Amino acid sequence: MIATRVLAAARTFAPRSRSFVPRPGLPRAILGAIIGFALGGGLAAELKAEPGQMLALAYLFGLAGFLLGVGAFRFWLTWAVGREIDVAEEHAAHGRAGEWQRYFRFTTDHKVIGVQYLVTAFVLFFTAGTAAMFMRFELAQPGIATNKELYNTIMSTHGAMMITVALVSIIGGLGNYLVPIMIGARDMAFPKANALSYWMLPLAILLVAINPLLGGFDSGWTAYPPLSQQANLGQQAYLMAFVTVGVSSILSAINFLVTVFRMRAPGMSLMRMPIFVWALTVTAALALIATSVVAAAFTMLLFDRILGTAFFRASRGGDVILFQHLFWFYSHPAVYIMALPGLGAILEVVPVFARKPLFAYPLAVLSFISIGVMSFMVWAHHMFVSGMAEFFHIPIMLTTELISVPTGIVFLSALGTIWLGRIQFKVPMLWVFGFIWAFLIGGITGVFLADVPTDIALSDTAFVVAHFHYTIVGGTIFGLFAGTYYWFPKITGRMYNERLGRLHFWWFTLAFNATFIPMFWLGIEGMRRRVADYPAEFGTVNLFISIAAFNIALSVGVFAFNMIRSWKTGPVAESNPWQAQTLEWQIASPPPIQNFDEIPTVTATPYQYGSPRPAAAEGSSGS
Amino acid sequence: MSPRRHLLTAGAVWVVLSVLGIVVVAGLQIIPVIASREAAIENHAFVLLTAVSVPVLMLVVVGLVYAALRFRAPNGTADGMADGIVDGPPIHGHRGFQAAWLAISLLMVLGLFAYGAVGLVEIRGAQAADFEVQVEAEQWAWHYAYANGVRSTELHVPVDRRVHLVIKSDDVIHSFWVPAFGVKQDAVPGHPTQIYVTATHAGTFPGMCAELCGLGHTGMTTTVVVADQAAVDAWLSNQPKPSPKPSPKPSPEASGS
Repeated sequence: MIATRVLAAARTFAPRSRSFVPRPGLPRAILGAIIGFALGGGLAAELKAEPGQMLALAYLFGLAGFLLGVGAFRFWLTWAVGREIDVAEEHAAHGRAGEWQRYFRFTTDHKVIGVQYLVTAFVLFFTAGTAAMFMRFELAQPGIATNKELYNTIMSTHGAMMITVALVSIIGGLGNYLVPIMIGARDMAFPKANALSYWMLPLAILLVAINPLLGGFDSGWTAYPPLSQQANLGQQAYLMAFVTVGVSSILSAINFLVTVFRMRAPGMSLMRMPIFVWALTVTAALALIATSVVAAAFTMLLFDRILGTAFFRASRGGDVILFQHLFWFYSHPAVYIMALPGLGAILEVVPVFARKPLFAYPLAVLSFISIGVMSFMVWAHHMFVSGMAEFFHIPIMLTTELISVPTGIVFLSALGTIWLGRIQFKVPMLWVFGFIWAFLIGGITGVFLADVPTDIALSDTAFVVAHFHYTIVGGTIFGLFAGTYYWFPKITGRMYNERLGRLHFWWFTLAFNATFIPMFWLGIEGMRRRVADYPAEFGTVNLFISIAAFNIALSVGVFAFNMIRSWKTGPVAESNPWQAQTLEWQIASPPPIQNFDEIPTVTATPYQYGSPRPAAAEGSSGS
Repeated sequence: MSPRRHLLTAGAVWVVLSVLGIVVVAGLQIIPVIASREAAIENHAFVLLTAVSVPVLMLVVVGLVYAALRFRAPNGTADGMADGIVDGPPIHGHRGFQAAWLAISLLMVLGLFAYGAVGLVEIRGAQAADFEVQVEAEQWAWHYAYANGVRSTELHVPVDRRVHLVIKSDDVIHSFWVPAFGVKQDAVPGHPTQIYVTATHAGTFPGMCAELCGLGHTGMTTTVVVADQAAVDAWLSNQPKPSPKPSPKPSPEASGS
């Protein structure tokens, strides 16, 4: 009954012939999502489905309704029915300069999409950071101050959201904005797919955010069965959302690869590409190859939950450890999907502020590619105590330790560039120094986790928590901050406030180290991870950690204030305030809608500092 | 100052700090309580890895600090890039230095691997056992079953004997961890796992579940009592034996549906 009524309602809103959804946009997307959600839910009710099946149908229909409503498929559907699309409409979808509404629409301009990703990622970062503050509140003193179930849910949500931040912020935000410009292209290869990959995220993120309303989930972001099979509906919300993010990630990876390999300006040979572009290229290859594996694992887990399959149910012949293999086969490369863009951003910033060519550029490129290849051979180091095949510890320990060789090249390049340079300590460069320290600590402590004898003692302890925060915050977030400050004048056309930037850097860096250094000690002393309570003897250290963690949040507040205020009222920036040599700095700030009036011809790498040659490119516009 | 002088000065600082660091680290006990052969091996690995880390850490830190102090541009901290900015020397790389960096890091890694592989075999290799216990994990408690049929909620093992632990779970994944023993092993539904441990000190040690297993994970702790063989035997014979057919535990799937 309900379904029929909903269907009738849907028909009134359904697109009439000729053009699909006359004025697509966010309001229509929300309407579409609600209609789709009701349709799916109604259908499930009609079929007498269980709650899990109902949620799945409602979400699938809701996502389809959202994407249809926002206009994600209108061009493709027009083509599909054999009509030509309206060129004026296609141009309109690209957005007009200076029009704020384009940020809330299905806009195909890569610069708009980049800003959409970046802002979304920062909003998510603040949300997940708030969840971390809740955790530190609970952990500030021994005993249970809030409640264990809520703690597990908030802890899992913090992980799920921060992983998404790390996955999409640099590649989706800075990458989308900068890669086409850096290689001298007018847009990404597939602008409509690019916009689609962004618009798949909002509903998925919302679904994770509301998971506490669905009973939460307590499995952590790793979602190991059987725990994740018995958990609440919130678990399912997370699984479905993560698969959606995965599909979006694959779409965007294809787009990056095609853009980089097919759309470079004349003279932009592979070995003249900015190192940031190289980092994103390898990242995209990793995302393309690995993501489908985790999507498959999560889908199998979903089927176990809602369709009664037994892929991971030991009692019916399934294999519990298989899930971990599939999960980490993606999720270890994912660590590099998170870190490589950060490393690329850092190596892009270093030469500009050291005023020296990037040291050992070809070796850095080679190291990125080696990291990419080797990252597929190390996944089982997450499973040294899992009960996997005994012999497998040996090769995995070897490959895990070997991958530190190409990763070390990043330090060689950064230090080699800084050495004998003429360093300008602007805010982006401060983040570079912070990055090198943090990633170094992450790398060194990683060796203790790669070595099986020490890993047996450290696995599942606070040591691991400290380690991966040093690598992911160090690798991704320090890179993200460096890149955001560095490219802020390009993206907004205004300068950020240098003093506030400095305050943010020092406050964040000191608080970050004060938070996570003691956790190494706690882990060695025997404090587990993912616990809401701990022995009283760790009380003082945990209180210190909590105070330090609250300071991280305050420092991020300074960042948010600086960004918002500078975007509105900061001093107008020159087109190339850093006197950098990559192509994006040779055009106006913010860049014109087609990036280049005339596609430039590239003659060298963009790292010719100290050489008589004035710039690496000629014939670009707007400078 | 010539580039050579810079390198020598920073290099000297690096050597001094590295040597000092290694001296401090060597001989440290890093695992807080060591009550087994396995924990002793792990502590040794900790000390060695820390000692190897010191020069690596110092190399980067000295490089960073030295550069920040000596290679700062005259007006390098002013707001905005100064006009008339001066570039550094156009050095794009240094073949010898790059090759040395690669070779040294590769050798270090292979050395660490060989050392780790030896430790791994010592800890996890198959061994002849003197004493068998079955460890049963469930949400959220530990149970132990001994060869003579006795069951307990505290683990009792003899000192200086090779103990073979077979670890099982029927509901979700747990992980059996006794920090003082340096052993940690997941309990996996449908797939019993095993470890060996040789306790070297008598006493009572805490154990716990190390793998997130739901609401009661935090409180899923246990106690391990290590005593000499005679005491353990006496304890075992004083325990009530359960009826020959222990009532089967209700499986969570059966009870859940």
